[in-house]
Amino acid sequence: MGTPHTAAAKPKMRGPVSQVLDPIRGRLLIAALLAGVGAMLTLVPLAGIAHVAGRVMGDNALTAHEVWWAVGAGVASLCAGMLLISAGELLAHLADNRITHHLRLAIVQRLSRVPLGWFTSRASGEVKQAIQDDINTLHSLTAHFYTTVGRAVGAIVLSLVYLFAMDWRMAIVSILPFPGFFLFFTRAMKASESNMQAFVEGMGRIDNAVVEFVNGIPVVKSFGAVGKAHASYREAVDAFARAFVGFTRPLVGSMANANAMIAPVAVLGGVLTFGTLFVALGWLAPLDVLPFALVTPGLCGPLLLLHYITHDLNNAVGAARRVQALLDTPVLEQPAAGMQQTPRGSEIRFEHVSYCYESAGRGLADINLVLKPGTTTAVVGCSGAGKSTLARLLLRFFDPTQGRITLGGVDLRQIETATLYRHIGFVLQEVRLIHASVHDNIALGRPSATRQQIEDAARTANIHARIVALPRGYDSVVGEDAQFSGGELQRVSIARAVLLDPPVLVLDEATAAADAESEVAIQDALSRFAAGRTLLVIAHRLDTVMHADQIIVLDNGTVFEQGSHTELLARKGLYARLWAQGDYQHSEEQAVPSC
Amino acid sequence: MLKPLVQLLGDDVPVLHRYVCMAVFYALLSGLTLTTLVPVLGHLLAGDVRGAALWLLLTLAGMAVCWTCRRRVERAGVAVGVAILQGARQRIGDHVARLPLGWFSAQNTGQLGHVITQGMMAVAQLPAHVFTPVITGAVTPLVIVVALFAVHWPLGLIALLGLPVLAVALLLSARLGQRTDRAFHRHFADASQRMVEFAQAQSVLRAFNGEGGGTQLLEQAIERQRTSGLRLIYQSSLSVVLNAWVVQVIFAALLIAAALWLNGLLGSTLDHAAVIALIVALLLSSRYIEPLLDVASYAEILRSASGQLDAVQAILAVAALPEPEQPQPPRDGSIELRNVSMAYAPDQPDVLHDVSLRIEPGSMTALVGASGSGKTTLVRLIARFFDAREGSVLVGGVDVRHMSGSHLAGQISQIFQDSYLFQGSIADNIRIGKPAASAAEILAAAQQAGLGELLGRLPQGLDTPVGEGGARLSGGERQRIAIARALIKDAAIVLVDEATAALDAENQQVIAQTLARLRGQRTLVVIAHQLSTVSMADRIVVLDNGRVIEQGTPAALLCANGRYAQFLEQRRAAKGWRVAHACASELQ
Repeated sequence: MGTPHTAAAKPKMRGPVSQVLDPIRGRLLIAALLAGVGAMLTLVPLAGIAHVAGRVMGDNALTAHEVWWAVGAGVASLCAGMLLISAGELLAHLADNRITHHLRLAIVQRLSRVPLGWFTSRASGEVKQAIQDDINTLHSLTAHFYTTVGRAVGAIVLSLVYLFAMDWRMAIVSILPFPGFFLFFTRAMKASESNMQAFVEGMGRIDNAVVEFVNGIPVVKSFGAVGKAHASYREAVDAFARAFVGFTRPLVGSMANANAMIAPVAVLGGVLTFGTLFVALGWLAPLDVLPFALVTPGLCGPLLLLHYITHDLNNAVGAARRVQALLDTPVLEQPAAGMQQTPRGSEIRFEHVSYCYESAGRGLADINLVLKPGTTTAVVGCSGAGKSTLARLLLRFFDPTQGRITLGGVDLRQIETATLYRHIGFVLQEVRLIHASVHDNIALGRPSATRQQIEDAARTANIHARIVALPRGYDSVVGEDAQFSGGELQRVSIARAVLLDPPVLVLDEATAAADAESEVAIQDALSRFAAGRTLLVIAHRLDTVMHADQIIVLDNGTVFEQGSHTELLARKGLYARLWAQGDYQHSEEQAVPSC
Repeated sequence: MLKPLVQLLGDDVPVLHRYVCMAVFYALLSGLTLTTLVPVLGHLLAGDVRGAALWLLLTLAGMAVCWTCRRRVERAGVAVGVAILQGARQRIGDHVARLPLGWFSAQNTGQLGHVITQGMMAVAQLPAHVFTPVITGAVTPLVIVVALFAVHWPLGLIALLGLPVLAVALLLSARLGQRTDRAFHRHFADASQRMVEFAQAQSVLRAFNGEGGGTQLLEQAIERQRTSGLRLIYQSSLSVVLNAWVVQVIFAALLIAAALWLNGLLGSTLDHAAVIALIVALLLSSRYIEPLLDVASYAEILRSASGQLDAVQAILAVAALPEPEQPQPPRDGSIELRNVSMAYAPDQPDVLHDVSLRIEPGSMTALVGASGSGKTTLVRLIARFFDAREGSVLVGGVDVRHMSGSHLAGQISQIFQDSYLFQGSIADNIRIGKPAASAAEILAAAQQAGLGELLGRLPQGLDTPVGEGGARLSGGERQRIAIARALIKDAAIVLVDEATAALDAENQQVIAQTLARLRGQRTLVVIAHQLSTVSMADRIVVLDNGRVIEQGTPAALLCANGRYAQFLEQRRAAKGWRVAHACASELQ
């Protein structure tokens, strides 16, 4: 498997399947060859039977020795044939194992570099389907298609040669059912083609519905005990069943005819009918019917297998197309080798930065900002004003549509991702822990960190004591024996950032998500951690950031006001209005009842 | 194999029976038709074309019946597939919806997703693509064995004895591969779960990918999947070889027996009739072996399918929360806990110890306590997310276990931390609270939940799609939609987890307004965070380590100078915090 880059650079002339299979084509051809030769060998005993029968009915020169020799040769070729087929299958499966593994890794690598917006516009079920299920669908193509074709072609070619050598007229009429099979078969395939798209879409929908259903269970249980709330799941299931019926209905009739046509009964019946007729006409000796009766029905097996595999092949081609498209997804611009620059210092500048979301709506327009090293900058504004977008641009979840952001004088796009995230850490509102031990969760950004370093980070984040109290301490697994409250989750995510020790910290002030005890602990942790760093705080409550070095007031994607708390209050603008609305002075006194 | 399938199909099981009967009938008929080749070929080889032609008519008639029969088998097989894709998926969905919340761990969720999507798809393909050839492959040889007995009994005997030998070999190789197969499916489901996580937690994974740590776990999962896939490949290759060899040994035995018979004939003057019988017997043998080879080659597919069926069975076997036979409706808006103890699993420690509590209809109760003190568990017990290990929970004077799910759900509205939104519009998500709600009611609920400003900003207003899990909206916006959903439901009891519902200042305000409006109208139970909320409550319950340590009116508790007074102190400290560190220390 080449790197995604080279894959993307290849001309689009070749089909997605051949692109995807390129690295293992040689192995697959060898596997097909082995299977083909094997299939030929398994036919030898049948020819042996016909040969012995011919000899015994013809003249009396047949000796016991000759009979045993025929039996021995038959059994030996049978065994050799089976061995070769098995070897071919094994080879193909190993190639499949290899290619699917590489493809999965390549997609994961690719997707780790696409803009984050790619993920928000897609359901996680779709991503899983692409990496797991689509590639799994390729299995029938890589592991089975080539060997099956090899077996079928081997068996058919040898049988035809043998039969035509016996009697060409009889050979032609004996194999009549097989073109008939293909006739019905292609008709079935054509009929299903038009419904294929709907079928694949139905698959995607049901995957999403399942992800949603499973994650939405708390809601289902609280509203849908009446059975209504998992309606969308039910609908997706029903819709998929309908799509399935629509997809198969035109297939069934033709497929049944095709299958019935090459059933051994039908094939043998045909051979006997024409055999009897030819014998009656005097074209054929009765004994010459025997090879046809023995060999022709043997063609059904390989052909049927071929049919099953082609049935799956459509899905595999569709999957290969989706996999290839995924490997070609545009990624965030990476600095070319040699062009990478290391930031000098940790000053951050936004220079005429604009950003538009694809789906219109919110964005940022012409933002100019300087974050001096060691200072605190707070961003305030109504929800939807663009606060989170600003933070996400700095974290390079997206690139600005216009303008540039520099860290230590270097454009973010010129900094290698790993370097960037060593400089900029964040604690965002939405805390995501992954299904792994607490240790691994904290060490996410620095897997090589020692247990001591991790514990120190956890202490700084005020969560060490809680972790030690877990059944398996730091080795407890999140979601299994480590169940955290909202506030605790936040502290674990702070520990994660602490361990990374970045000079710049982006903070989404989300302490409201915690309970009273946690809140003090979180604030304490953040105070310690923030000391001496360049800090960008997304603030929801004005009183927490009133002492920041500069406060940026965003409105509708632009910087509306900028200055210190006192300056902004004096200006009597938007900030002053928000401050007055928040009623921050009195909130405490009000709440505490007198005894 | 059939048993789990029958369980899975439930009411649809006649479809399966019909299909199996038809397939067996078809296979018998094919076998019988095949045996007519004995007289046809016999007469032909003996030079009696007329006799052959007469018998041939019977063959042709059999063929015609087989053909129509085959078409019906095919249709019946598709019907089974549809029943699995529709009926069985619905059955799993209904079953899962009744499971206790504790079951929904990341692992089980991943497994469930795999079973419903991939698993059911694979099982649905079985009848049309696997069962038909396997049934015909297994039944047809039985008929041929009878014919072989008639032609030459030693060959018939070998063929008959071969069948149980092959059956044992198939069973054995299936048993061999089972564990590897299960391991593979487990690793596959694990990797799938990681992929969902990879997509959902992408922002965090990316930013913490300094040393490749962000993709490491997924890559490890993919690697494990590959390794167990490899093991499965070797394992199944072995099984395939074993099965095929057993069939070949049977074939070799038949050939040797035929050779012995032939050599016996060679000595004397050739008995033409006997030679013809021998040739016909050999032809029958090849018709006997071939379907068996087919069966052997399907063994692997059958085994992996039975792995899928086992996984479904495991999910269907999880006990749902029991529903009462004669459900009683709640009588009022009261809540009572009597000596409730609760553990999430039998081997885990109790998270609630012997809690007794009575909450009057229309009153407001604030639950206060450190994280992990059991507040969330207590509230979830009321909503019957799971059943208590000991003691009973009464809502409206009736034990929740004696109430139907719909009665309880109708009685309780929840504003919890799980503000999961379904794909669809904002209006669709609010309507979940009251399916029959008018557009005006939805708009009113949205306004009350503080969504007015957001709706004004969105061009499509209430019809704006929310994205999976509400991915296109901010946390606060999602939360407000969840609040609107709970408000429109209009239930007698409202449960609120304020700590997580109030994500930002605006939500905080919405929650405060909501509580103020509902106070006195509804029974309110609030996991309280804000001082203002606590002071609003009629009654405060302080939890610590799963026990109620204080309860009473705010004023009474303040004067008692216990844990509640301490809590107030902490709240005041938190309020004094400022982000600018220089000042923070000053203020503390």
